[in-house]
Amino acid sequence: MGKLEGKVAAITGGTRSIGRGMAEAFLREGAKVVVNGRDVAKGEAAVAEMGGGDNVAFYAGDASTQEVSEGIVDFAVERFGRLDIMCLNSGGVKNTAPVIMMSDEEWKLEVDWNLNSVFWGMRKALQHMVPQGSGRILVTSSVEGKLGKPGIPGYAATKHAVNGLVKAAALETGTSGVTVNAILPGLIETDIVRETGPASAEMMGLPSYEAMLDLFTQESAIKRCNTVEEVAAMAVMLASDAARNFTGGLFAVDGGPMPY
Amino acid sequence: MAELEGRVAAICGGTSGVGLAIAKAFAADGASMVVSGRRPAKGEAALAELNIGDRAHYIQGDGGVKDDCEALIAETVSRFGKIDILVNCAGGSENNAPVVDLTDEAMEFGLRVNYWSAFWLTRAALKHMIPQNFGRIMYISSVEGKVGKPGLSQYVVGKHAVNALTKCVAKEVGTLGITVNALCAGAMDTPMMQEAGPAAAESMGITYEDLLNWFAQESATKRLVTVEDCALVASLLVSEAGAGITGSMISIDGGTAPF
Repeated sequence: MGKLEGKVAAITGGTRSIGRGMAEAFLREGAKVVVNGRDVAKGEAAVAEMGGGDNVAFYAGDASTQEVSEGIVDFAVERFGRLDIMCLNSGGVKNTAPVIMMSDEEWKLEVDWNLNSVFWGMRKALQHMVPQGSGRILVTSSVEGKLGKPGIPGYAATKHAVNGLVKAAALETGTSGVTVNAILPGLIETDIVRETGPASAEMMGLPSYEAMLDLFTQESAIKRCNTVEEVAAMAVMLASDAARNFTGGLFAVDGGPMPY
Repeated sequence: MAELEGRVAAICGGTSGVGLAIAKAFAADGASMVVSGRRPAKGEAALAELNIGDRAHYIQGDGGVKDDCEALIAETVSRFGKIDILVNCAGGSENNAPVVDLTDEAMEFGLRVNYWSAFWLTRAALKHMIPQNFGRIMYISSVEGKVGKPGLSQYVVGKHAVNALTKCVAKEVGTLGITVNALCAGAMDTPMMQEAGPAAAESMGITYEDLLNWFAQESATKRLVTVEDCALVASLLVSEAGAGITGSMISIDGGTAPF
């Protein structure tokens, strides 16, 4: 029997990269899963590829907006009758830049995408979970939630911020049966990283995309990127009933670069 | 096929409490193992509970004694031909007192069982793990490896030292297929706790129940964590996906530690 039999999960993002890995792992463990993405055609194709049949549903929309980060909760409850696991996973950067060059537009986008959407989705999910006396909130944070690199100030700031949100919400809900945790992956070569990486590398003052990958991997102990499967395994553990005593944790899946 | 079939573990302090819980989890996943502990009667009882026949062996040993730590590794390799997984559950403190009154002997004991044991075991195990390019090392550390409590300095210092060892060794062997992690557990009502807790509480001017309650109340969940919580993380770390987690000080504390 799967570790998540009978559970319903919603994942912002989730049609590719880390969220997709979580979705597939959750399906294997017996959960029903809602995934989300902006592009309807890509989303529906992803759902078909996952092969979860009626156990997986697609919710279209931009997860950096309040409408969608809250709407996915209602959608999951409507489709599958409840919500047990909320993965606030969507995030990233678009046109990152050092502080001195950062545009207001990019800064606001990153705050919405990486922080506000997590807050909106978390608040809405807790409104379902606290009354039902159980639930799992998993926030995809980053090593940049504890560290900081030049050229990605918005990402570092917002990932630090969600870690604070996780700690506070965990203390608020600690006796309610709901747990709130963050997973801090190291760099993974996801589609998003491949797309935005070259521009980010330039803004980080690095000669190439490969140099950016090196910067991350060389500070780790394992000297390689992490994988989606490694993050998904941590997510399954934290989402399981057995993890009822795990809350307010910042769980690294990063190959060892962080000092604390 | 069970995930740990063909894997061999050495568990120092594996006859009760968190060590036995981890041994059971590994046994269920197909691993073979040698567990050590000070008391042969508990060793025999642990083997009976594990109930996996020749796949489990007990060796008498004290985690605070260098020869015993090295003997555990040697026995594991001699019996099963290799060592893939090392778990150190040795730990504790005695004659607790505020630093102003703490004896050298009490501080030495705290460092020996909490830190030196991990060092001795790790050094011996790495000599086997490095050539085979595979290893999973984990230490039962504590939330006290991240924060501090008055009157428990020998424990707190020992656990902080284990966390430091975790970071260093993880970086030394990171590209060799070997991971090293610390499980920073909150207070658990284990046999070790029941043995050492009352005296520790007394040195802090409180009862044993007050001590447990203090730990519980500083968490978000307001309850103690369990040995099964540690086993859950141990199982993740030894799984294939665990290859990407190293040098980590993993909180298993109900939301107590601030980082």
